[in-house]
Parts: sequence; structure tokens; C-alpha cells
Amino acid sequence: MNLNYSDEQNMLREQVLKFCETNYDFIDREKILDSDSGYNEENWKQFAELGWLAVPFKEDNGGFNFGPIELTVLFEEFGKALVVEPYLSSVVMSGTILEASNIPEKSEIIEKIISGEHQVSVAYAEPNVGYNFLDCNTTLSKDADGFSLNGSKSLVLNGGNANKFIVLATHDNAPALALVEADVEGLSIQSFKTLDGQTCGELTFENVSVSSESILALGDEAKLLFNKMLDVSILCISAEAVGAMTSSYMKTVQYTKEREQFSQPISNFQVLQHRMVDMFIETELTKSLMIKATLQLDSDDPEASKTISALKVQVGKAGRLVGQHAVQLHGGMGVSNEMSIGHYLKRFTAIDSMFGNTQHHINKYQS
Amino acid sequence: MDISFSEQDLQFQEEIRAGLNGSEYPLHVREKQQKGVALSKQDMIDFHKFIHSKGWMGYNWPEEYGGTGWSPVQIYLFLNELALAQCPTILPFGLSMVGPVIYTFGNQEQKDRFLPDILEFNTWWCQGYSEPGSGSDLASLKTKAVLEGDHYIVNGSKTWTTLAQNADWIFCLVRTETTQKKQEGISFLLIDMNTPGIEVKPIITIDGDHEVNSVFFTDVKVPADQLIGEEGKGWTYAKFLLAHERFGIAGVPVVKVQLEKLKNITSDYDDANLSKKIAELEIDLEALEFTELRTLAAIAEGGHPGAESSILKIRGTEIQQRLTELFVEAAGQYILPYEGPDGFESNKTPAGPDYASPSVAQYLNYRKTSIYGGSNEIQKNIIAKAILGV
Ligand SMILES: Cc1cc2nc3c(=O)[nH]c(=O)nc-3n(C[C@H](O)[C@H](O)[C@H](O)COP(=O)(O)OP(=O)(O)OC[C@H]3O[C@@H](n4cnc5c(N)ncnc54)[C@H](O)[C@@H]3O)c2cc1C
Repeated sequence: MNLNYSDEQNMLREQVLKFCETNYDFIDREKILDSDSGYNEENWKQFAELGWLAVPFKEDNGGFNFGPIELTVLFEEFGKALVVEPYLSSVVMSGTILEASNIPEKSEIIEKIISGEHQVSVAYAEPNVGYNFLDCNTTLSKDADGFSLNGSKSLVLNGGNANKFIVLATHDNAPALALVEADVEGLSIQSFKTLDGQTCGELTFENVSVSSESILALGDEAKLLFNKMLDVSILCISAEAVGAMTSSYMKTVQYTKEREQFSQPISNFQVLQHRMVDMFIETELTKSLMIKATLQLDSDDPEASKTISALKVQVGKAGRLVGQHAVQLHGGMGVSNEMSIGHYLKRFTAIDSMFGNTQHHINKYQS
Repeated sequence: MDISFSEQDLQFQEEIRAGLNGSEYPLHVREKQQKGVALSKQDMIDFHKFIHSKGWMGYNWPEEYGGTGWSPVQIYLFLNELALAQCPTILPFGLSMVGPVIYTFGNQEQKDRFLPDILEFNTWWCQGYSEPGSGSDLASLKTKAVLEGDHYIVNGSKTWTTLAQNADWIFCLVRTETTQKKQEGISFLLIDMNTPGIEVKPIITIDGDHEVNSVFFTDVKVPADQLIGEEGKGWTYAKFLLAHERFGIAGVPVVKVQLEKLKNITSDYDDANLSKKIAELEIDLEALEFTELRTLAAIAEGGHPGAESSILKIRGTEIQQRLTELFVEAAGQYILPYEGPDGFESNKTPAGPDYASPSVAQYLNYRKTSIYGGSNEIQKNIIAKAILGV
């Protein structure tokens, strides 16, 4: 066993850290949140130049063929600065599915993702099925010239900006994954801001034609692929949560050392010290499960999915505790939108709600 | 001991219920409350004017100042009915905070000048206590008032001032003297928000709402007859006020109504774990409610709620916060789209249940409840010191 990051992985971490330090202070981030697209195009270009958009893709498609470890390194650093660029949706979620598919367009699309030219989002959630994503009501049915899509998809991350969508639908009572262009006839998109300052879209499909060459996977293959995508995505947002927890407790320690009440730093009060210790402990425990899950996914361990559920539960629990304590210890400043600390709480709340919340994964873990 | 309410109390309850469901009630306010839409300033005025029109505005005041003179049990029933009828909370700043200070420590002229407008809701008051450097340690406050002839000249700043953007008047704790013991140089001053030299700047909270403000004072001239009581006694008055503010601070009636709503929403969710959490919360609420009743009974016997009321603040806010978490949990992933506290434009609503977005707003907003009104840590310090004697 070796639980050390390689030099290369540490270099990647340094690189992301440096980028965030120069480009991602609170004010930079506020500007991005206020923009219509909800992300910064210059940043995205830089992600491409730095090679980050190529991280998980295979070498023959122009990628670096890096695995879950590198992804978690990236996401942990993203989490510290609360990066909002659509890396999860366009690179991780779409990338996982595209990489495993065999459609003719595959290398061209991946190249465009890597170069930053195109963004692709996965449309998996729906209004009425909760976290049982695979039981979806959107249908992919066969017609004379290929297939046709009908139904609606919700909460599509970066949905307002994506050039293409990978849509989860039901075909012959089984799951299917199909690729469609954002500007295809019959597709309408409405974009919303999310609670944590990102964006998501509602997609409605009315007889949208899909050629058979755009079918990414069908039946069991689609199911396996989709579940794999969920596992990797959960791992990434968990790593992000670990980064956000680390920043939250460190910022809180800093703040309580500087804030004086009753003629002394409030960090002198033991009740607050213990709270911060609890925040630290939860962060470390989360990091442990995160690393375990990363290594299991990396080695295709059959237990990986179960650990991913355990991790998601821990992230939910710890995120709530760390986020709430951080706000509480900042007093009024904690609930001010002008301080970063409340934005971490919002991100923890969003992360808990995505891909199955704490309760969903407790049930899954038990089953 | 007897757990039941008297005939008269029940009749009283009926009267209130009928009044709140009567045709004079401002329906636009109820509609917004039901939908979880934020109320405008005018909505709040309409609601308070309605309460006044029923003669209920001074629900916690003695009759001699135009109040109802109700017993603690009647007050309890009244607040319950307000919650059941989905009314907004009666704003505490005029009625429960500055009003009692004025009628207890003010002179006749001040009583005549300010009390009727509070009852009729002609003036909107805000509370100017906290400062950037003085939150939990309120007595360290620095906003200065210097007497020059028949005016005080006020300089300094207040912060977190709730709804100052709507306020006509602010009651402030100011420093009139630098004393050895910091509590002794504090005075209680009433200031017209239209006085030159006052600037109000919004502070946006994490739910995106504009509820609190910074208020800056630069050479603000305040007539000396707007000082309450004696110079240097402001701290005593403020402490008196805190004791008054405790009435209903646990928020039990509102939580009860919200809890029923949550039970209805989730009745077909088939989620045993969520049901268990709801039941646990309900049990905690029962214990809290009866604790409040015990406090009320003690007041009715002529007692004064002391540090025990800190229990109501601590547990009440914990329960309120847990309730908001359960709503968020119930809404699951559909909490994601969020465009601010006013919700979505009518032609643009995302998928998922309509309670999802207001739930997040409430969850984020209610983090404040364990911070304001004396943070929960400070409340525990009070209990430790005053009750446990440690
Ligand atoms: C939404 C909102 C509305 C408000 N409305 C008003 C208003 O209308 N008027 C007004 O005057 N004020 C208002 N306040 C201010 C409120 O009263 C203060 O925020 C509160 O007193 C805490 O002060 P602080 O924010 O400076 O935090 P601090 O005092 O800096 O406290 C930071 C943290 O340290 C803890 N702490 C401090 N001292 C101790 C101690 N001795 N032992 C243990 N822990 C300690 C606190 O509990 C808190 O967790 C409002 C605040 C909020 C958030």
C-alpha cells in the first residue's frame, strides 16, 4: 500500500492552487456569479491551455489518461476556491460516457472538449423520478429514419451553455444514452441560477430526431455506463467538498483569532475551540473515505460503489456540520453574502442534494 | 395543577380565530405567505394596520398604554392563532422592544408622542444596538453621543440593523461617557431616520435577501428630549428590554404549523427515515412548548422569566433550524435552481415541488437565529452563570 501522492500529482495540485490564488479571489468569483453564463470563458481557455480539460481522456483522443486520483486532486483544489467553471459536467460526466462509447463522432467531440471549444452536459434528472434516474419518463423511440426523443430533463448542469447533451432516456423499457445538439429542432432550454451560484437548465424535447449514430449506449451497457459516471461524479464532488471543508475550517480558525470580543480573540473561548476541532476531525474523516473510494475506483474494485455511497453520506454529514459551524463562529459576518464563508455552506448544501442525498445513499449502502 | 384552558380562554381563542378569518384580513398578504413569497413593506403595513383595527396590536402591553392587558395565556393563544392563520410575525421592534422601554422609563411627553404611533403602526422602528466591533460584547459599543446645548451630536455606526431600510425611527444604544465600567456610560436614544447625517447601506445575506443594513451616523443632531430616562442608564433599559423580547422567541406556533405542512408534503414519500426525523422534531417541540407554558404560568403568578428564557431561545432556534433542514432534505435535488428570495418569474419555473426553492431560502436565512438576539453560545453562558452558578 502507498498512500502518497506522486510528484506529478503534487505538481498538478500546485498548479491548480496557483491558478486559484491568482484568478479566483472572492471578488473575481463574484463577477463570474453575476455574469449570464455563470462561468468565465477566459478561465475555461486557461483550463484548456493548462491541459486540465484533457485529464481523464485516453491518449489516443488527445488526453492524459489520468484516473480518479488526478481528478480528486483537481477537485479538492477547486473546492477550496469554490470554482464554478463547468468541469464536472463537461469533462467528468460527459467525458466518462463519451470515452466508453463507440460513436463515429467520438474523437472529434473529445478533441473539442479538450480544446475548450465545446461543452457537453449530461441530462439525467427529471421532474418526477427523484434520485431513481434510470426510471426516467423521457422516451427514445424508434421511427422511420432513426430515433425520436420526447420528454423533459431537469437540473442539467451548465445546461444554458452546453453545445451538446447526452440524454438519459427510456428505450424499450431499458435505459438509453443519446447524444443531441443543443440547437436541434424540438429542443427548448431554460436556464436557471443555482443556489450556489452555478447554472442549470430545464430541457424539453418534442419529437427531437436522433440518428442511430448518436446512440451512445443501450440497455445494460447504458446502465453500467451511467452508474459508473455517477460514481466518478460523486467522487469528484466529494473531493471538492473536502477542499471546501478545509478552507472553511482554516478560514474560521483565522477569523476567530482576529475577531475580538470581551477584550480578547474569540478563539480563546473553549467552546469555539472544540467546535473548530470537530470541523477539523470531520474534514479528515471525509478525506480518508475519499481516498479509499478513489483507490478502489482506480483499481476497479467491486466494493467501490459501496464506498462511494459511504463517502457521499459522510460528505453530507460533514459538509453540514462544517458549513454550519463556520457560519455560526463568524457571527453576523457568517450570514453576509459579502463573506466567502456562507458560500461554502451553499456549496455543501448543493453537493448534498446532487446524485442522491445523504438519506438516499444510506439506503443504498444498506441494500 | 390543571392542563386545560378555561372556558373564557377557549372563547377568546374562538374570537381571535374568527377575526383572523374574517373578510377584513388583507388577503394578498395571506396569499403570499402561503406561497412563501417575500412580503413588501406595504404588505407588512397592511397586516399591522389590520391587527390594530381589531384592537390587538398592543397584545403584550398593559391597558393603561392602550394595550390589551391580556393574560399570558391569552397572549399565548393569540400568537398560536396568528401562526395557524399563516400570518406574518408581528414586528417586535416597536411593539415588543422600544414600546415597553418608553412606557416603563420614558416621561409623559415621550409616551404621548411615541406610543400611539407604535400601536397604529404609523412608525416603523428598528434596533440600533450592534456595531461592527460590538456584537456579543455589546457593552463595548462606541457610537458616541455628545450633548451640545439641547442636542446630542451622534457619530459612529451600527450594523446588522434589521429592516432599517423601511424604518422611520431607530432606537440606539450610544456612549455618552467613557467610564471605567463600560456598561455605565451607555444611554438610550431615539433617533428619527430622516435626520441629516444618517446613511443606510444594505447588507445582503446568504439567501440573497436585503433584510439587514449598516447605519452610519455623521454629526447627527438629535434633540436631547429624545433621550429615554437618565444618561448612563441605557444598559439597564436594554437588559429590561431583552427580558421582554423573550415572549414568543421560541417560535413554537409557527414551527407547529410548518411541521404539519411538512408532514402533509411528505405523507406519500414513503421515506421511513425522514418520518422518523420529523417525529423526533415533533417530540422536541412538545417538550419546548410545555417549557414555554411553564414559563408563562410562572409569569401569570407574578414571576419574572429569568435566565430560563434562554432555554426557549436556544432550543427554539435549534428546532427552527432543524425544521428548515428537513424541508431541504425532503426537496432533495430540486433545491438546486434558486434565483433569490423572491422566487422565480411567473413565466419561468423549474421542475420539482414549489416548496423547494423557498425551503433553501429559509434554510440559509435561518442560520441567523442562533446568531442574533444574543447568540446561542452567549445564552448558554448566561445559563451556566445565572442558573448553574459556574
Ligand atoms: C440577520 C440578523 C439580524 C440582526 N438584527 C439586528 C438588529 O436589528 N439590531 C441589532 O442591534 N443587531 C442585530 N443583529 C446583530 C446580532 O445581535 C449580532 O450578530 C450578535 O449579537 C452576534 O454578534 P456578532 O455578529 O458581532 O458576532 P461575535 O460577537 O463576533 O461572535 C462570533 C462568534 O463568537 C461567539 N462568541 C462570542 N463571545 C463568546 C463567548 N464569550 N463565549 C462563547 N462564544 C462566544 C458567538 O456566539 C459567535 O458564534 C442581527 C444579526 C443578524 C445575523
